[in-house]
Amino acid sequence: MSRNAEAALLAGAAVLAALGVSIVRAAAGETPDAQTALTFLVVALAFGSLHLAFRQWASKASPYLLPLAALITTVGLVEVFRLDPRSATLQRWWLLIAAALGTGVLALLGRYGTDVLARYRYLFLAAALATFMLPLLPSRWPLGGIAVNGSRLWLRLRIFDTTVVTFQPGEVAKLMLVVFMASYLASRRVALASMTRKIGPLALPEPRQLSPLAFAWVASLVVLIYQRDLGASLLLLAVFAAMLYAATGRAAYPIVGGGLFLAGTLAAVQVFDHVQRRFDAWLHPWDDFADSGYQIGQSLFALGSGSLTGSGLGLGRPDFIPSATTDFLFAAVAEETGLAGSVAVVAAFALLVTVGFGIALRARDSYRKLLATGLTAVIAIQTILIIGGVIRLLPLTGITLPFMSYGGSALVSNVIAIAVLARLSHEVST
Amino acid sequence: MNTPIRRLAFVLLAVLGLIVLDLTYLQVIAGPRYRDDLRNPRLAASRSSTERGPIVSREGIILAESTAEPGSVQTFVRSYPEGPLYGHAIGYTSLLFGNAGLESAFGRDLSSDSDLTMSGIINALLGREQGAQGIRLTLAHAVQQSAQSALEDQIGAVVAIEPATGEVLALYSAPSFDPTVLLGDSPAAGDALAADPSTPLRDRTIDQILAPGSAFKVITTAAVLESGAANPDSRYPDPIALELPGSTAVIRNSDRGRCGDGTDVALATAFRRSCNTVFGQIGLDIGATTIGNTAEAFGFNSEISFDLPVARSVFPTGSLVTDPAATAQSAIGQRDVQATPLQMAIVAATIANDGVVMRPYLVSESFDRDLNILSQTNPVELRRAVSPGTAAVLTELMTDVVEAGTGQAARIAGAVVGGKTGTAQIPGAEPHAWFIGFATMDDRSIAVAVVVENGGSGGTVAAPIARRVMQTWLSS
Repeated sequence: MSRNAEAALLAGAAVLAALGVSIVRAAAGETPDAQTALTFLVVALAFGSLHLAFRQWASKASPYLLPLAALITTVGLVEVFRLDPRSATLQRWWLLIAAALGTGVLALLGRYGTDVLARYRYLFLAAALATFMLPLLPSRWPLGGIAVNGSRLWLRLRIFDTTVVTFQPGEVAKLMLVVFMASYLASRRVALASMTRKIGPLALPEPRQLSPLAFAWVASLVVLIYQRDLGASLLLLAVFAAMLYAATGRAAYPIVGGGLFLAGTLAAVQVFDHVQRRFDAWLHPWDDFADSGYQIGQSLFALGSGSLTGSGLGLGRPDFIPSATTDFLFAAVAEETGLAGSVAVVAAFALLVTVGFGIALRARDSYRKLLATGLTAVIAIQTILIIGGVIRLLPLTGITLPFMSYGGSALVSNVIAIAVLARLSHEVST
Repeated sequence: MNTPIRRLAFVLLAVLGLIVLDLTYLQVIAGPRYRDDLRNPRLAASRSSTERGPIVSREGIILAESTAEPGSVQTFVRSYPEGPLYGHAIGYTSLLFGNAGLESAFGRDLSSDSDLTMSGIINALLGREQGAQGIRLTLAHAVQQSAQSALEDQIGAVVAIEPATGEVLALYSAPSFDPTVLLGDSPAAGDALAADPSTPLRDRTIDQILAPGSAFKVITTAAVLESGAANPDSRYPDPIALELPGSTAVIRNSDRGRCGDGTDVALATAFRRSCNTVFGQIGLDIGATTIGNTAEAFGFNSEISFDLPVARSVFPTGSLVTDPAATAQSAIGQRDVQATPLQMAIVAATIANDGVVMRPYLVSESFDRDLNILSQTNPVELRRAVSPGTAAVLTELMTDVVEAGTGQAARIAGAVVGGKTGTAQIPGAEPHAWFIGFATMDDRSIAVAVVVENGGSGGTVAAPIARRVMQTWLSS
């Protein structure tokens, strides 16, 4: 496949966006209007500019990355439009911003190569930690943190008491952490893999080599406790464990990491009411249907009502699902497009993950392998956590579905991840 | 390093595969269960988002209609202006409480097809009628009202039929309910209806079978007349109690006395006085098969063809042929015989229609938005139950009951009224009061069945109700 084929597929995504918006309007008994044209133009402009950036700075990158991201983004944008046109308008702006930032990242990497990221790894670590902490700024400040649904994850910029923009800094911070982990692990992986100490049947590396894992555990618990965000801490720890395993080949890391997280989670269930509620809703949604089980119950009704082929875009009632544009967007898509659509979305994610790991496998050095693995794992684990939560395979964690959920910060960080992956893919072949 | 990355990729992709499996289960295998869950708000929404056609009475009085909700062209509200008066006949389609009545049985005709489903689109392309159809009922508003007011707060049912056509003029079950309550706006009120010990949601006209008591003697008499074994003047022994073979049980008359003077008694006299001893003897004489065949000719033991599902009325011939004692008790409408009020109304209507069973019907026509008639129901002769001669004799016998026998409370000045009372004994409770009969005046004619559960004597409780209902039709 060539870059021209990529361009054709991206044009297809833009047409899909226009069709989707038109169908939604037709279902409401209205004719296509400016929304159709605007959505088409925004998708075409955003992915068109990324495509040109690919041609310029990552010309040998995998041609599958961008069309898959565009497909998933478009499906999400159409469903968000269907649920709340006002949110879709904002999301269109965010898509343009994300494309601009993604283009900028590609330009930067095109000039300096991905090695530049490794060189400033401690800067990234510090920046990541600082970014994570931003929502803890006092909310009365013009740039301050705010809590939404009990989780203090949001940063709000106000000018003269008018909210200009809200942003979830954690979305970008996790990318910085992945960059740090990739370069750190690449330089330490031999030491981490040599299990010199033995305690009974357990082989352990030198204690000081364990510090990254300890750090990751502590960081995830800090996130869990201070920001009350089970999902983000679970995601962080899972990504760290995955990268440690990729770096060392030692299954002990994910196993011990999983054990530690389980212990932390069980403690959190005891200590925090909102974590306790989510667990109850997961295990016994019908016991307290009117209250804690309501969300997941509505999600299951949406899935069941969608059946094989769905109600049709705009013809279902995803408005019954709480948080349909964010946490439960997948349930809304599954209701209106049925199993056909929901499996197609999961398949698109699976393909994207496969392409990402393919880049990792072909990368020339361990740093690039780990960076590609980490970025891909972020997308994969996030997808698994939120879809798993929506279909009650896992407890619900307030994590966004990559590229699809309404939310600017997530879209920006996902597009940047794709840009970095593209550059890594390009560097494989040079 | 590639091995752990491959494994990692495999694990993550496997979990995505697991998600696909779970989605398949949730959306397709368990999907219908979630979709139809009572707590799923989509069902109620989907029902109210399609317009349903109106239901009107015989005279055109609106009984059910859909109106667009203010400020929305897509949401319709169903309303029932007459409330409980037509509750059971109209029924409901309710997310929480299921479906019943004509709203359910004629749901397809009433619903609009002009939506974006495939069939809707095909219909549009073919230029077929798509608007919601309306239906006109045979129910006469005044007759229905008189049934309601005559029953007052008693538990029971009234069915009235025009004998010559089978048109149902009244179909009222008490206590009734307002279908609006079941639409789901207030689930608690609907729950209360469903949990009410007097079961207001049950349609007692068609969905409940009770022992018909002496009203069944019309069928026993028809059987013995048809068999040629007796005529109205045939004499029967007149014991104080009829001893039953192979049993210690006896059959007594309701006043525990003799039917006549103690020697013997004519069939006509026994019918007029509703003597159990004589009809028990007839049961012994002609046997279960003969009575059963006649009962089945009237509609027992099979599903009555009607616009609503009707419970099967029972005369268990098979188990009675070897049990003369039970046959004798069944011949007087006790023990194993059970019938719906609709079935008993058909018995009366058939006698008034010279012995021919007409198919009962409730919906006379359907019409489109512009009131053009789309389809009409024509009267259908189902079968001949008894010969015209037998029907004529029974007409006389039943007229005699109202003129001079147990049914005098049903007399209407200026009309020919015939009937048969029933007082069905219930162990440990007041008997069910029955009256079945017919009335003719000028060119108008009506047949009715009335039952009042645990109401007492048929002649004093049910017959006056029947009189009011019949008179309303004759004088309207």
